Amino acid sequence: MKQRARLSRTLVVGGAALALVLSLSGCGGDSDAAGDDTIHVLVYGDAANKVEKEIVATFNKTSKVKAVLDTIPGADYQAKLQTIINSKQAPDVFFNWGGGSIKPFVDAGLLLPLDPFIAKDPDLKAKFLPSVFNSAVVDGTSYGVPMRGTQPVLLFNNGKVLKKAGVEPPKTWDDLLAAVEALKADGVTPIALGGGDRWPTLMWFEYLYDRIAGPELFQKALDGDQDAWASPDSRKALSSIRELVDAGAFGTNFDSVKFTDQGSPTLLATGRAGFELMGSWEYSTQQDAHPEFAKSDLGYSTFPSVEGGKGDQANVVGNTNNYYSVLKKTKHPQAAAEFLKLMYSDQFVKAQLAIGNLPTTTNTEGFLDAAASPEFAKFQYDMVKAAPAFQLSWDQAYPQSAATAMYQSLQQFFNGSMDEDAFIKAMQALPTS
Amino acid sequence: MRKSRPNYFAGFGSLVWLLVVGLPLYVMLVATFQSRPDYAANGPLSFPEHFTLDNYIDDLNSGFAQYFLNTVIVTVSVVGIVVLLVPPLAYTIVRSRGRATTTVFRLFLLGLAIPSQAVIVPMFFVISEAGLYDNLIGVILPTAAFAMPVCALILTGVMRDITPDLYEAMTMDGASSRRVFFQLVLPLSRSGVSTIVVFSALQAWNGFLFPLVLTQSAETKVITLGLYDFQTEHGVNTPGLLAAVVLSMFPILIVYLFARRALVQGLMGVGGK
Amino acid sequence: MTRTATPSADGETVEKPGSSGIGAGRPGFLWAAPAAVFFGLFAIVPLIMVAVLSFASWDGLSDPEFAGLDNWRRLLDDPVMIKSLWLSVLLTVLGVAVQTPLSILLGVWAAGHQRNRAVLSAIYFVPMLLSVAAVSVLWRAVLDPNLGVPAQATWLFGDGNLFGTQATAIGVLVFVSTWQFTPLHTLIYQGAARAVPQVLYQAAQVDGAGTVRQFFHITLPQLRNSIITSMILMVVGGLTTFDTVLILTQGGPGSDTTISAYYMYQKAFKSFDYGAASTIALLLVLVSTVISLIVVRLSGYDRMRSTMEGL
Repeated sequence: MKQRARLSRTLVVGGAALALVLSLSGCGGDSDAAGDDTIHVLVYGDAANKVEKEIVATFNKTSKVKAVLDTIPGADYQAKLQTIINSKQAPDVFFNWGGGSIKPFVDAGLLLPLDPFIAKDPDLKAKFLPSVFNSAVVDGTSYGVPMRGTQPVLLFNNGKVLKKAGVEPPKTWDDLLAAVEALKADGVTPIALGGGDRWPTLMWFEYLYDRIAGPELFQKALDGDQDAWASPDSRKALSSIRELVDAGAFGTNFDSVKFTDQGSPTLLATGRAGFELMGSWEYSTQQDAHPEFAKSDLGYSTFPSVEGGKGDQANVVGNTNNYYSVLKKTKHPQAAAEFLKLMYSDQFVKAQLAIGNLPTTTNTEGFLDAAASPEFAKFQYDMVKAAPAFQLSWDQAYPQSAATAMYQSLQQFFNGSMDEDAFIKAMQALPTS
Repeated sequence: MRKSRPNYFAGFGSLVWLLVVGLPLYVMLVATFQSRPDYAANGPLSFPEHFTLDNYIDDLNSGFAQYFLNTVIVTVSVVGIVVLLVPPLAYTIVRSRGRATTTVFRLFLLGLAIPSQAVIVPMFFVISEAGLYDNLIGVILPTAAFAMPVCALILTGVMRDITPDLYEAMTMDGASSRRVFFQLVLPLSRSGVSTIVVFSALQAWNGFLFPLVLTQSAETKVITLGLYDFQTEHGVNTPGLLAAVVLSMFPILIVYLFARRALVQGLMGVGGK
Repeated sequence: MTRTATPSADGETVEKPGSSGIGAGRPGFLWAAPAAVFFGLFAIVPLIMVAVLSFASWDGLSDPEFAGLDNWRRLLDDPVMIKSLWLSVLLTVLGVAVQTPLSILLGVWAAGHQRNRAVLSAIYFVPMLLSVAAVSVLWRAVLDPNLGVPAQATWLFGDGNLFGTQATAIGVLVFVSTWQFTPLHTLIYQGAARAVPQVLYQAAQVDGAGTVRQFFHITLPQLRNSIITSMILMVVGGLTTFDTVLILTQGGPGSDTTISAYYMYQKAFKSFDYGAASTIALLLVLVSTVISLIVVRLSGYDRMRSTMEGL
């Protein structure tokens, strides 16, 4: 153990004294006596929990150590996770986004390296698409096993609106600019954007940087090379964004629109916008809120290529996957390992596909016909499988501490309240790992 | 005579304010009786074409009943703690001449200026060390503590209005502090006590940050958090969300309907007489 | 009558029987002790821990380390921090400036006993029934540029980009707080206005003073104590606004509505920089203490003059 600083001792003593008073006064909660033969699995709370519940049930049928599923609702997941991960309430196995999202935990020595498990059961690695599995490898050691599905970002469209304006899904950047003009002339907002949520805005940066500068530039920046942001490629990507925004592609009120309150999906579904750049979950969102539209008019395509750009047009941006990681202090590492093995079982893959998720196991391909929407599932699977590079969302690639400042700068550059140089400076000031 | 002129102005102003207060409430109610596609298609101001109660039913089925219960538990407990602790405190502040009491009063005055956000980090640490994380008790205790300064101030204000001769009369009879408290001070500050009941209930009812940071599971979720989570999930539906807002009003609406006078009097009392 | 309890049990100051005068029958400190201890544990102790943490660097994962004045230095150089303090003050001042006249007028108006005023007052009260979170959620839906009222009232809202510029976003925050809290302050003034002795008005009428003059020369001065209480509540409420910002603007656009309380939350639970968060928290406490002290001093609130004085 590290030597504790004096300061921390003061804090611990003060806090512990108060905590003791609380427990003595009889209001202490149940002790963790029950924790002896269970492992707690903590996941992001949303509709996909249905599958996680099934998997836990399957696990509990055969295992002596029982798994307990805990959920934390969406928006707060990351914040809650970090607050509890080093406390008594820490789970044994937890959901994460790989990459930067687990880096601080690895650095703090909290996570269990999974390589010994993999040595015993090579399938734990071999059964997953390598590009996906590698997103949870930190400094050469595996810390996560993919769960749920991959979520590439696609350019969705309203087929009816495009047809009326005589527009095709764009193959190149110039196509897109032309489509914007045509849609504007037709009186609709060319592209719906939930700028109020900020992360939808980020997707435009991610794709344009990838297409223009290639995935290497962002990697360099992430590795601490400040010059990357000031490079000509970076400036070109920024001026392309400027060009698109100034052309009125997103209308004028995008920062008041949100994806999360249905704002932007409704614009697309009701024909008030032609395109929306969004993660694959747009599909299930539309199926849920506007089933008629999802069935007949919801189209999708990959992000257009940019002439002279360094990035391969098959590159993909998005959430590579979600992962399960295991905490070092778990009392039941063996049980955790057994649990992880279920993440490539047929049951798991079929259940995920049924709710619209796209798992990245090697056996997924065989079940695609059983997916909620087979055509869309196949399109995504082929896209991810063929992608030379899969750019993890910037906010998840960077350490958590950078996210707020990053969002602020992205939003300000996008809506024109911050210029190119100020933006570059702001990005250079972000803490890197 | 000259009275009628300003009344037109007041009448007009009151109608404008009625519009400001009423319009969002109208939008809210109308939205909750529509299906999601209808709401999106018709806009917020038009009356529902196909009347439906599904939004309410869906909300109740998705755990709101539990959130209600939790909020009620928190509110009742917070009020209980405040009503138990604050009147004796205010009594001491008003009547005691001790140095310690002055210090305590200053402490509570300072407490007015401590926003609950300010202590949230150590609060999390302490509550979690005490094993009270994700436990309603862990929400109740700090919420009650942070409701106390204002309540103490309100009540001392009321108790100061009890004239010294009344105390004199009782102490002349050799009454103990306890008797003075129960037979003189409490009866005479009933309005103040009802004010702090209302005020602390409101604090607990509105509580957001403590539950946000100190709880996580559905079993301990309070209504305010339920609404927040509703809003931040992917693909929220506005009519359903607004139905949840309407539902969240119900407990207080019932109190309002049955105890309107007490509630209003209580709140009026916040400003002193 | 006989005493029913021993002095020590109810914490009474020991006094000789028969002693009289001002000092008699006064409660001892023990009466205040439970409240003091409770409050100390849950507010003062954490506050002290915050003060300690403001000199530490801590991410919640490893042990806190002593960092001296680093957090303070960093924050004083942080443009967002300085801006957030200004925004907090601005939001508070705007809130007080808008809500005070509005709620005084409404309160005095509602103090009349006419039937229509009673009915309208009952409706005005409804926002009080909603929690801050509920109100924020409601207004977010009402003000949505495409699905809300702005889309149907473009003559008023233009393109409806209310959350996209600093001025409009601040306007929304001030407006929503006003919408929510005006009923409370209206009630405070309504109660106070009703308590103004009618004699004063009768005397003024004899002197031939009009309604407006009566309002400024009798009603307002008589509302003095209520104005102070109401303003303290507004100031403390304004400085600690949190739910509204989190749900309505999330501090945006950019950092244009990132008030200190919200910035602190971001530092703590988004960036996991607990040291910096504690420093902001301490600054916030300092600012609101200073403001409260000024209000309290200026008004003599600590002496709590009874309104009955001078009658």
